[in-house]
Amino acid sequence: MNNTEYAIETFSLTKIFSDWWGRDKVYAVDELSLQIHYNEVFGLLGPNGSGKTTTLKLLLGLLHPTKGRYTVLGGDSTNPKINKRIGFMPEESYLYKYLNARETLDFYGRLFRLPSKTRKARIEALLEMVGLKAVANRPVGTFSKGMARRIGLAQALINDPDLLILDEPTTGLDPLGTRQIKDLIIQLAKRGKTILLCSHLLADVEDVCDRIAILYGGKVQTKGRVKDLLTQTNKKQITIDAISDNAMGQIEQIIQNEQVEYDIISPMDKLESFFIKTVTTAKQEGKSTSGVTSDSTTKISDFLTATPIEPGILDKLVTATVADGTTDQAATTQKVEPAKPEEPKQDDKLISELTKPEQTIEPTAVEETKPAEPDTKSDQQTKKDILEQLTSDNLEPQGDNSQGDSNDA
Amino acid sequence: MRSIWAVAANTVKQTLRMKLPATFIILLAILLPVMGFITTGDGTMKGRLQTFVSYGLSLTSLLLCLLTIIISTYTITNDLKQKHLYTILTKPIRRWQFILGKFFGIIILDAILLFIFSAIIYSITIYTPRFLDADPNTIAQLKNEFYTARASLTPPQVDVSKEVDEHYNRLHNTGQLPPGMSRNEILTQLTNQKKLAKRASGPGQQLLWEFENVKPIGTDQYLFIRFKYDVSVNPPDLQAYGRFDVGDIRQIKFGNIETPIYRFDRKDVIRTFHEIQVPADAIAKDGYLAIRFLNVPLNDTVIIFPIEDGLEVLYKAGTFTANFIKAILLIFLRLIFLIALGIFAASFLSFPVAIMLSLVIFFIGTVSGFTLESFESLGEEMGLVYDFTIKPFVLLLPQFDKVAPAKFMIPAKFLSWTLLAQVAATMVCLKALLLLIAGLIIFSCKEIAKVIV
Repeated sequence: MNNTEYAIETFSLTKIFSDWWGRDKVYAVDELSLQIHYNEVFGLLGPNGSGKTTTLKLLLGLLHPTKGRYTVLGGDSTNPKINKRIGFMPEESYLYKYLNARETLDFYGRLFRLPSKTRKARIEALLEMVGLKAVANRPVGTFSKGMARRIGLAQALINDPDLLILDEPTTGLDPLGTRQIKDLIIQLAKRGKTILLCSHLLADVEDVCDRIAILYGGKVQTKGRVKDLLTQTNKKQITIDAISDNAMGQIEQIIQNEQVEYDIISPMDKLESFFIKTVTTAKQEGKSTSGVTSDSTTKISDFLTATPIEPGILDKLVTATVADGTTDQAATTQKVEPAKPEEPKQDDKLISELTKPEQTIEPTAVEETKPAEPDTKSDQQTKKDILEQLTSDNLEPQGDNSQGDSNDA
Repeated sequence: MRSIWAVAANTVKQTLRMKLPATFIILLAILLPVMGFITTGDGTMKGRLQTFVSYGLSLTSLLLCLLTIIISTYTITNDLKQKHLYTILTKPIRRWQFILGKFFGIIILDAILLFIFSAIIYSITIYTPRFLDADPNTIAQLKNEFYTARASLTPPQVDVSKEVDEHYNRLHNTGQLPPGMSRNEILTQLTNQKKLAKRASGPGQQLLWEFENVKPIGTDQYLFIRFKYDVSVNPPDLQAYGRFDVGDIRQIKFGNIETPIYRFDRKDVIRTFHEIQVPADAIAKDGYLAIRFLNVPLNDTVIIFPIEDGLEVLYKAGTFTANFIKAILLIFLRLIFLIALGIFAASFLSFPVAIMLSLVIFFIGTVSGFTLESFESLGEEMGLVYDFTIKPFVLLLPQFDKVAPAKFMIPAKFLSWTLLAQVAATMVCLKALLLLIAGLIIFSCKEIAKVIV
């Protein structure tokens, strides 16, 4: 299916904005050469005006390069054959104010020529996923910025893209939404998608990206694997639960013997985790909100395939599983099905964020969160039961798998 | 095709939810019935209906034209400005498909609105006499003169070039040419004089017009002679006396009368249109018809039939309904042109500028006769430069006034499919298509994203 080595490759891509007289004014992107592998989360970083968004627009054909060329999924991104495999979420959601959420997604679905049944199933799944099902019939003009962003995300996913291009994916979202997007990116990456995102919110990039490039003045200043770039190889950190003073003293003794500098502190809770914890508590106490209602922040729509497959099979899958999960036992034999068990797992993971103070955002420590599980709302519980029924055969191995994946990340 | 349809459906939806079309629709939906009640025309039932149809169609046409211009320029410039295109054009849809989607979307919208409003106008026109309990005579008159579609025959142009040349040469030879006028101007004036002379009759003089291929549909029909007098000296009561002989007057020469010849002695107000109803059997079997006019010398004045519309023969050639539908189609063709114009303007201009350009072209189109004349006189001065620069653009301008629907509906003039096809060919197939293609090309090469660094 992939006929080139890289999902995205640029060759000395240059974009110069000229003034009215045709004189070169600004080098927005300057001799940019990037290679982004398939199944990789790649982050473009840079301060404001460093050419991140311009690069994305060039790659999407919204701007014409002054010099250089690029390939996206092995071809030209303006070719419908190529761009039906791309999902793009712009830095703000530019939506038709007069349409409601469902109509908006329906319109984009039609642009992908999705058959009616598939379209409807996907729209419902996506609305559920981004937590806008309750306000699906409200014109999107009345949505808050964060809600509009969620629709923007949903429209980017409606074609089950192989390549997802996200421009500042977390701006305008509350911490819950930010967390959701980050988890979603990780999940999609696990399902074999390629993701290119640009951001200046470093924490976001650090959490999700495999590789990054830092742009300044339209030029790549540095690029590489996040781990390689950030790991301080000459320092070590040990994080442990509270232990006895005696044990602590022994450890200090050992370190002193090594004759190195050291520092002992109690780790701070991340504000993000703290915030999510607070909101979740309020939600459990039954306080109402006019905003986004989903608390399954990381639940992922089933149609987003784990491995790139033929559209025909995809559509069968969608109609089989989303329309009525309980009756379609046969659907469990589809090859994309292994992705499903991640759904309950994701719920767990969110709760782990909410309940465990020392939890970092590395999506690893999944097992520790079991106790909080009963907190999820009952409807999700039933949904999960259905999913477990469907996927009970391979639930266990999948759990191990996801563990392994996230360690890699 | 499906993505074109998606854009089209979305355009219709978007437009219907904007408040602007709703305002137009409510305005028209109220105005049309109200107009049906308050228009009186010249006091007669026919005049009332003529006024209503004329104003109703003109108003509908004008408002829909404005609406079309606004929507077609707004929908594209707005998508660009609000950056809707970022998410649309990165989906599997070509830019030309997007533009065509907009085009068809507005066509569908216009078709729906036009259908609704023409249905209102049609119903009011048809039911007014019944509603007002018109007497049978009026209804019979309406049937012949309003609820019908009549073909019109105008007298064939007389070739006067020879006489004009002779006259000019005579003036030239005798040195009597008026000073300060070019040869062309003098010739034009002479031609008009000579032509008018052919249509003027002094007291006691006769004029003869002959028509061929007069073929009314149906049997028990009437012909109508529609005429207007102009006079050299105003009679005291502003009335002129005339005698019309209508029929196959060739028979008189041979003395063998087969078809009847009708005589009408009339006294009519000058400078107003009048109609004479003539039974259709006056027409000879081969379609020949002659009209002989005598200026009855009760007033000492010359009677002139103006060149433009002094005299025409009308006969039934179609039904009112068919004519009405064709008139509506004329409006529709005009709307299609305006959509293409709006899209073209929006492809490279911002909303205010695009709408200005479209409106200017629209209004020039509604007074195209005047515009073309003024450019022609300019062209005479500039010669070849004009032919290759301004002229092509001038020819691309629409000519709405030439085929205004009211022009056909008021005198119940037959609107032929041929004319409709001609208008469709020039206005839509040629001019609108050129604009649309130009718009498509510009839009396809355009950078959708703005300069943001």
